[in-house]
Amino acid sequence: MSQAKSDDGLVAKWANYSMRNPKLVYRYLFYISLAAFLLISLFPIYWLFVIALTSPDNMSNIWFLPRGFNIGVFIDIFQTTPFHWYVLNSLIIASVTTALVLLFASLAGYVFGRMEFRFRRPLMLAVLAISYFPAAAYLLPLFRLLTGNISVFGISSPDLFNTHIGIVIPLLGITMPLAIFILTTFYGQIPDGLEDAARIEGTTRLGALFRVIMPLSAPGVATAGVLTFITVYNEFFFSFLMNDGEVSNGAPLVWGMLRFQERFQVNYGEMAAASLVATIPIVILVIFAQERIVSGLTSGALKE
Amino acid sequence: MSQDTAVTKPASERGRIKGVHQAVVKWIANLSDTYYAYLLLLPTLITVGALAVWPLINTFEISLHSNSLVGFYGDFVGFENYVNILTGERDAVLPNPFFSLQNPLQSGLIVTFVFTFVSVVVEAFLGFGMALVLDQKFRGRRWIRAAFIIPWAFPIVIQGMIFYIMFTPGLGFATELTEWLPHLSRNALSDGPTALLVVIIADIWKQSAFVALIVLAGLQSIDRSLYSVAEVAGATPWQQFKLVTFPLVVPSLLIALLFRTIGAMRIYGQIEAVTSCAVVPSLSCMVVRSFDGGAYADAATIAFITASIIGTVVSIYLIKYREV
Repeated sequence: MSQAKSDDGLVAKWANYSMRNPKLVYRYLFYISLAAFLLISLFPIYWLFVIALTSPDNMSNIWFLPRGFNIGVFIDIFQTTPFHWYVLNSLIIASVTTALVLLFASLAGYVFGRMEFRFRRPLMLAVLAISYFPAAAYLLPLFRLLTGNISVFGISSPDLFNTHIGIVIPLLGITMPLAIFILTTFYGQIPDGLEDAARIEGTTRLGALFRVIMPLSAPGVATAGVLTFITVYNEFFFSFLMNDGEVSNGAPLVWGMLRFQERFQVNYGEMAAASLVATIPIVILVIFAQERIVSGLTSGALKE
Repeated sequence: MSQDTAVTKPASERGRIKGVHQAVVKWIANLSDTYYAYLLLLPTLITVGALAVWPLINTFEISLHSNSLVGFYGDFVGFENYVNILTGERDAVLPNPFFSLQNPLQSGLIVTFVFTFVSVVVEAFLGFGMALVLDQKFRGRRWIRAAFIIPWAFPIVIQGMIFYIMFTPGLGFATELTEWLPHLSRNALSDGPTALLVVIIADIWKQSAFVALIVLAGLQSIDRSLYSVAEVAGATPWQQFKLVTFPLVVPSLLIALLFRTIGAMRIYGQIEAVTSCAVVPSLSCMVVRSFDGGAYADAATIAFITASIIGTVVSIYLIKYREV
């Protein structure tokens, strides 16, 4: 009997041990999955570094280490193309869109979250339903509207092709529903008493919205703002449609990336380096805003 | 001197502006709640109306006309475009059939549904796992959480480029891996099914973190005292997960899956960035290609078919899982 027990293999011993110490097993499982997820998330980004650091003449079958150490590529990208201007254009477009979305969505969120009126539910559902449709479904009419091909009462729409505003405007319509969704639930949760107190002191409704309700809903506003900013900065569809790619015409990042493909031979190293540079603003934003996003989603957006 | 005159306006004008301002304030204060609500909604209604509702209606209108070589509208043809495209009789401007199907729209539908199903299921599992890990307390959680989220914040072009280089023969290592696996082409990006797989992998890399983010928010809103109760009652960690964590986190998981399903069914950018719409023709891809080819009526029709499919899926989701 005891002979049989000592004959148990390593696996059986380990299994017996773990049955008696489940907590320990869970701990190991935790570390293993943590490592696996980290590998999945970070490996492609690491590999992008490897590509960037490999010099152009060594660019073949790249596994996990760079061939050569071509750190100068991070300077080259700004010399071969005005890459910083593309990044700046994207930052401008994203900031303007985010500011406008937060302003409009705050008004709508206040109305939907805190007021009772006719057609409240149908209007709210209509606004939210807009986000179901693919950007492609808006492509044609929006393109015509924003390039001056639609006229209302004899006044033709302005030609916004090749302007920042031409990209900001369609993205307003696309990013607003989600922001309204988040802000409505947040503003709706503020107790009436707090607003009433401000109103009694003589503030208007809008005063109460911007001085009391918005500051109290800071995590929600931050969540909506960060989500909008990231969506716009990374946007693909209208950035292509509404611009010809000249940096002086306000071309965003997407076009900057394409610049590296336009020569006879694609310079993959520069493309990778440019990608890494372009993601720096978004990475900084994620690092600083992540806690806000999670707490924002926790305390508001998911409770509706 | 000139500044002085600009700042101090004549007293009468100042009075008039003040009077108008007061009148406006008074008028707004006397509005009923309903009209006040509409007033505040005005910017949103104009924006959403002009940029989303009107374009949708207009797209539908264009889809009822024939393709035109000169303008946007051809002759009014009613639902003929829908019939032609659904039965596969209009192939000229649509991309080559996928999986050697006869009907291009069928291949678009198959690509879109396969992509949506596979990527959303895998993202659900991976995202849930990530969220469970992030819900634990450990040192450096802030940084690890940021590391998990970063792929989700990556621009689509860059995400596409990473996987494009990785799977380009002679450049990245991944083609050597696909060579070992059966049924996969070495030229991964130009072979339909394999390219679809690469697009799915790229999407999973980026979007799992989004599911993780939403599920994590759900996990963190669970009342921690429930776990103390469960522990006192003698529940093992597995039972705690099965009886407390999972049921309470299902609503946030469903929201995440809803968002992901909508996102996946509209897939366009990733495909264009990783391979091309000619290799993996999703529904949105077909819209853009028809648009580029000048077949505006076809583009509008496919756009509307896509929108209807997404609308149907979303409605089923909402009716089944949440009372709106």
